[in-house]
Amino acid sequence: MKWLTLAFLISFAGLFIYASADLPDRADPHAPATEHLAPEFIALTDEEVEIPNIVSAILADFRGYDTLGETIVIFTAGLAVLLALQRGYKRDDGTS
Amino acid sequence: MTERHDSAILHFVVRVFMVPFIVMFGTYVFIHGELSPGGGFQAGAIVASAFVLARLTLGNKHSSPRFATRILIWFSSLGVGIYVLAGMIPMFYGDNFLDYNSLPTAWFNDIAAHHRTARAMGIFIVEVGVFIAVLSVLLMMYDYLTLRPRDDTDD
Repeated sequence: MKWLTLAFLISFAGLFIYASADLPDRADPHAPATEHLAPEFIALTDEEVEIPNIVSAILADFRGYDTLGETIVIFTAGLAVLLALQRGYKRDDGTS
Repeated sequence: MTERHDSAILHFVVRVFMVPFIVMFGTYVFIHGELSPGGGFQAGAIVASAFVLARLTLGNKHSSPRFATRILIWFSSLGVGIYVLAGMIPMFYGDNFLDYNSLPTAWFNDIAAHHRTARAMGIFIVEVGVFIAVLSVLLMMYDYLTLRPRDDTDD
């Protein structure tokens, strides 16, 4: 069974390595992400948002939905800690 | 609850120098977030570290009146609420969720005599929400992780 899993993983690793040959290099100026999205963000930050920090504009404006999700994740983590570790909390039947 | 430390030097240095400086630095990171690296997440973590330092040396009982454990859950909800509200107000003006273009911020530009676009104001409002949420969640985690059972404390 172990060897079957190993063979499965090796075949998947081979598939990924084969597929990664087609990906653009790191910091490739002609990668699709840098050719289409980045110039648009830079231009829109200059025209519409008018703040000097493009990272802030992307974080809170263009990717605002993402940041909302991150904030809710942090909020949920705090809520989970509170619910798990809250002590001295009395129920109606007197047990704590 | 963490105990109050005995050293008077430690109290002096923490109270007079370190906590005010860290809070000021965190506020700077927060305000300057639009111009340089920084923003709500980082500033919230920095300011929360100042309050955790105060709790570590002065003890929870002496430092928590500045930021009581009980109200932190309300503060973190308020932070998320500010964010969601900033996203929902444009919906009443017929725009998409989180489209700050239609936030009613013209009155602020009139008061401040300084032109900022509605989207820049929206980013700032959102960062305020993130700042409050991160700050209060980190403090809440510290407080509840150091909490002892009630029969252990003398209050």
